[in-house]
Amino acid sequence: MQNLLLFIDKVSTWVGQFFSWLILLLTLMISWEVFSRYFLDNPHAWAFDVMSMMYGSLFMMAGAYTLSKNGHVRGDVLYGFFPPRLQAWFDLILYFLFFIPGVFALAYAGYGFAADSWAINEHSNITANGPPVYPFKTILPIAGFFLLAQGLVEIVRCIVCIKQGEWPKRGDDVDEVDVAKLKEMVNVKDEDIAKLDALLTAGKGTK
Amino acid sequence: MKKEIWFGLTIMALVVLSAFVLLPAPSEMANGHLGLLMLALVVVAIMLGFPTAFTLMGMGMIFAWIAYKSQNPALAVQQTLDLMVQRAYSVMSNDVLISIPLFVFMGYLIERANLIEKLFKSMHLAMARVPGSLAVATIVTCAIFATATGIVGAVVTLMGLLALPAMLRAGYSVQLSAGAITAGGCLGILIPPSVMLIVYGATAGVSVVKLYAGAFFPGIMLATLYVLYVVILAKIKPSMAPPMSAEDRIVPLPAFAQVVSKDISSIVLPGLIGAIKGKRNAAVSMRDLLNHMGIALLPALAVAAIMGTIYFKVTAPLPVEAVAGVVAMGGDLADSNTTEEEAPSVSGLSEPEADGLQPPPADTTEVAKAEAAPAAEPAKEQAPAVAAAAETPVADAERQPAPLSFWIGLVSCAVALALFYAYFSFVRLEIFKMLLGSFFPLALMILAVLGTIVFGLATPTEAAAMGSLGGLLLAAAYRRLNYVVLRESVYLTAKTSAMVCWLFVGSSIFSAAFALLGGQELINTWVLGMDLTPVQFMILAQVVIFLLGWPLEWTEIIVIFMPIFIPLLPHFGIDPLFFGLLVALNLQTAFLSPPVAMAAFYLKGVSPPHVTLNQIFAGMLPFMAIQVFAIFLLYMFPAIGMWLPGVLYN
Repeated sequence: MQNLLLFIDKVSTWVGQFFSWLILLLTLMISWEVFSRYFLDNPHAWAFDVMSMMYGSLFMMAGAYTLSKNGHVRGDVLYGFFPPRLQAWFDLILYFLFFIPGVFALAYAGYGFAADSWAINEHSNITANGPPVYPFKTILPIAGFFLLAQGLVEIVRCIVCIKQGEWPKRGDDVDEVDVAKLKEMVNVKDEDIAKLDALLTAGKGTK
Repeated sequence: MKKEIWFGLTIMALVVLSAFVLLPAPSEMANGHLGLLMLALVVVAIMLGFPTAFTLMGMGMIFAWIAYKSQNPALAVQQTLDLMVQRAYSVMSNDVLISIPLFVFMGYLIERANLIEKLFKSMHLAMARVPGSLAVATIVTCAIFATATGIVGAVVTLMGLLALPAMLRAGYSVQLSAGAITAGGCLGILIPPSVMLIVYGATAGVSVVKLYAGAFFPGIMLATLYVLYVVILAKIKPSMAPPMSAEDRIVPLPAFAQVVSKDISSIVLPGLIGAIKGKRNAAVSMRDLLNHMGIALLPALAVAAIMGTIYFKVTAPLPVEAVAGVVAMGGDLADSNTTEEEAPSVSGLSEPEADGLQPPPADTTEVAKAEAAPAAEPAKEQAPAVAAAAETPVADAERQPAPLSFWIGLVSCAVALALFYAYFSFVRLEIFKMLLGSFFPLALMILAVLGTIVFGLATPTEAAAMGSLGGLLLAAAYRRLNYVVLRESVYLTAKTSAMVCWLFVGSSIFSAAFALLGGQELINTWVLGMDLTPVQFMILAQVVIFLLGWPLEWTEIIVIFMPIFIPLLPHFGIDPLFFGLLVALNLQTAFLSPPVAMAAFYLKGVSPPHVTLNQIFAGMLPFMAIQVFAIFLLYMFPAIGMWLPGVLYN
């Protein structure tokens, strides 16, 4: 069981990270499209559709990854003050109340939505001869499925936390603000900060 | 700890209870009341700390089902599912939100290019003579860096590592130092290209282009107010921000410059010319001299290039006068700046202009050559030209004489240049070289991205993609682009975009349910029933948003509450664009309001142990007051924000 959950966690991360690279592709594609339009005078009709498909797939498929790294925004004014057990209880209840029904419904509805699109072999109607839309619509149930699976992992995390009194560790990942890395980047060491502190207290002493 | 929890939980219980008490009895309850109940519940649920996107999604689903069930129980489930999937898909294929991941990516790349250290150093040397120079340099550095990256946490942390030690060592008060760093770091939220404005634009249906044009000057105004505050404070109370000692101001000169400035002249141009012509300095290599001559002449070349292109633009037989107006302004700015002895910034203003304007001139000269070609092509390029078409009569001749304003601009530029070179010493050349390596690339990039968006040359999406590409090139130019950096930026981008966009999925399902229940109508009739004047409504709205800024994040406030405010605006004759600018300014204050301000905690994380959170909060308060003052100013003089979009798009 434990292994299965860890495996799901890894798969979510891997899938999310795989789709993350779409941003690089998107950057290069749009830049090329702009260049092609202004300088080669050769705009592509499909560019707009492909752009939005890349963006949509990117963020949808990164949803489970973000959840596994606790990256979805929370209102943490009060939450931050809770002891871990209370946090876990609230999370557990709300996972069952909001998350599971909501995401399940989204995935289920997305399945029907995508199936319809496959059935009629739907193409984009933004431009004439638009690219096929059904693969893109299929992203919706797939992302929902991964999110649901990751939600189950999170529920188990809550239960573990309720039992042990502290949150189980999450896998390592890049942080937006990684203080150690930033310190290294600008060559500031902890000793320097400590030295500064001495300066500060000395200044107070003389006043 | 326990006390706070019970306090918070009690308040939430009270909110839920009072919602039930205030609502009419279940028998008389209309759907609209359910909508209000939903709103109260969602605030409580968010405060419980569950990921907001899924709170909104789950609650929206439940209430949408209730709403449909009251109409037709048989179809309710299917309709709810359809609604959810439609809403989710509309976010997936949203053509406004698509620029969010791109701008975020650009931000992470620029942050990792590690420009900030150089930027701060060159800024503070360039401003050595300004009172409170370190704090001013901090604010300017923050403003530029935060604008380019838009990541509050990273900017505040980095400046906490760089600027805080420098300021404390120079004897600045802890409060002022902390305030300057936190306030400056949050500017990136407001000054475009910012993600907040995209989110507002997508929610309120306001064009992001107009929002960017509108937020530009309020953002600059806020930064200027901060700087003014620091300068005045440093003048009045030198003990809080002592002037830099002479030894701190010394800029080490390279060997040849020492020789030249001693033997010939300390002013760059005569010095270099003398050294190149004369044979006196055999020790100085010719290559150094020529290189530096080239660098020293850059501002002059930039001005010449700009004035040349303008001359072509103005005299070209096509209606492109808009550019004349824009550049005349650039010239004036440059002029007024030189008088402040802030010489290097002359080209800071003129170079980006050149960048923003160069692409179209190349195009027009081409067009001018092939005059027989149908006029359909240029029309695409010269959308902004409509702006000031009234200023000069439309040309019918091939080359029309340049207007007087052009010659005035030219002369003032020449005078500015002359002044600039008169004061351009070797020390300043060194500072100029440092700025060239840190300030100009960033400023150029921001202005290029903004310029192409605002002048209608590219859509925000395209400009954002070009900006990301620019970020890649910038990181490469500073030798910071490797697989690890790229991978980290890519992953962080995915997580941030997923966070914002999933929130959008949740909130669009939620607001659909709210509308279905008729909660919106109930609020509309209630607010209209209060019979407010537009001013009262505006103040009420801003106060509500300000208060919401305490417990909630700006993303949540915009996606949940803006859909409630926006439909009310037409009743009071308020432009949603103007409202958006006020909201953006207002939400800025939320970043600085204790005790939830994230900026303070980031700063605390890297400051020496004796700097307390209370000191940081105390330092933030004056800056928060300035923000409130800025909201007031914008409200009293809407032209600060509305002038640029008005000129460009009406």
